[in-house]
Amino acid sequence: MTRLSRYCRLERDAIAACALDGMTLLYHRASGQTHMVISPVPEILDALDETRPASPADIHRHMSQRYELGDAAEAVALIGAHLAELAGLGLVRGL
Amino acid sequence: MKHHITIGIGPAVFRVGSAWRDPIDRLASLYAAYPVLPGAIADFSVRLEPVSPLRRWLRPSIFITGDHGLAEAAPMSLAHGLLAAEMGMNLQMALGWRRHLLLHASSVEKDGRVLVMTGESGSGKSTLAAQLGERGWRLMGDEFALLDLESGWIFPFPRLVSLKNSAIGVLAADVPEQRMGPLLAGTAKGDIRHLVPRSTAIDRMEAGGQPALLLFPRFGGDADIRPVGQAEVFMRLTQASTNYVALGEAGFRALTRFVQNVPAHAIDFPSGEQAIAMVEQLWAERA
Repeated sequence: MTRLSRYCRLERDAIAACALDGMTLLYHRASGQTHMVISPVPEILDALDETRPASPADIHRHMSQRYELGDAAEAVALIGAHLAELAGLGLVRGL
Repeated sequence: MKHHITIGIGPAVFRVGSAWRDPIDRLASLYAAYPVLPGAIADFSVRLEPVSPLRRWLRPSIFITGDHGLAEAAPMSLAHGLLAAEMGMNLQMALGWRRHLLLHASSVEKDGRVLVMTGESGSGKSTLAAQLGERGWRLMGDEFALLDLESGWIFPFPRLVSLKNSAIGVLAADVPEQRMGPLLAGTAKGDIRHLVPRSTAIDRMEAGGQPALLLFPRFGGDADIRPVGQAEVFMRLTQASTNYVALGEAGFRALTRFVQNVPAHAIDFPSGEQAIAMVEQLWAERA
């Protein structure tokens, strides 16, 4: 998976989300595909902005205000891996 | 085609044509209580054709086709023509229906509320629904439950119940002979007999109901009841739906609403009687 340096959230109506117990469903309107994701993916998506691109480190900074994320270097790497995967699925915009 | 019949089952109209008279006569007999609609615009066509022109007469062999075909459907003998027609109708429904989210599930109704049961072939969902249909519940269908995209209600598709192997004896003991079809021995799924649902199921086949309980029955093993979480329910129901992907966001909305609002349990049972007792217990607890 190609890791890009910065990412943006898709426009607001690109995805319909539904939280079930233990899982969040993301219905991607452009492709008609339903993705099933678990924490921390919904939290990463929430931390992204539509217009202001953010790096994995930016997202980590934002999330660490609300969550205990443990070792910073590991958490940034994990966030980067998730963002690259989400960009590959078309669920976020990579720049 | 030379012989044909047009029948309404739930919201769907099927035109079944056949190169032979016998399967149509048998359908007409078993579907005598259903609306027969000559000249109506059919949702689906099912055609029972000879594998080759010669095979109409010589060791007659049926090829099932229709609006939506399966290239690999195996030919069947004329003795199993009724089964071929039923399979053809199921196939058209599974591949072509778009007005509801189609769940491969049986369903029964009581007091306007619907119990939906889904599981693999052989799980016992069909037999259990047929048994409940003889014991105070209204059978809505043994094969497909139709989830309405707007209201979230379940609507019936009460075709003939396809009883297989040991289920034949179980139901034959409860049901008058005139509601049982001929024994089709030695099919690919073993022995099969069709059961005509009770008249209330047919008379009210356009009446839906609010889903109130979802069960994943499994015949065999010790009796056990356990709740199933929403995430697992969603995954299993997408697998049980033949048109979830085709319906796009409407299907997503309908299915997520169902999963969030309908409690779900898995039940294992060693006998039909115990399964019925477990269903009645869960139904009473739900209220």
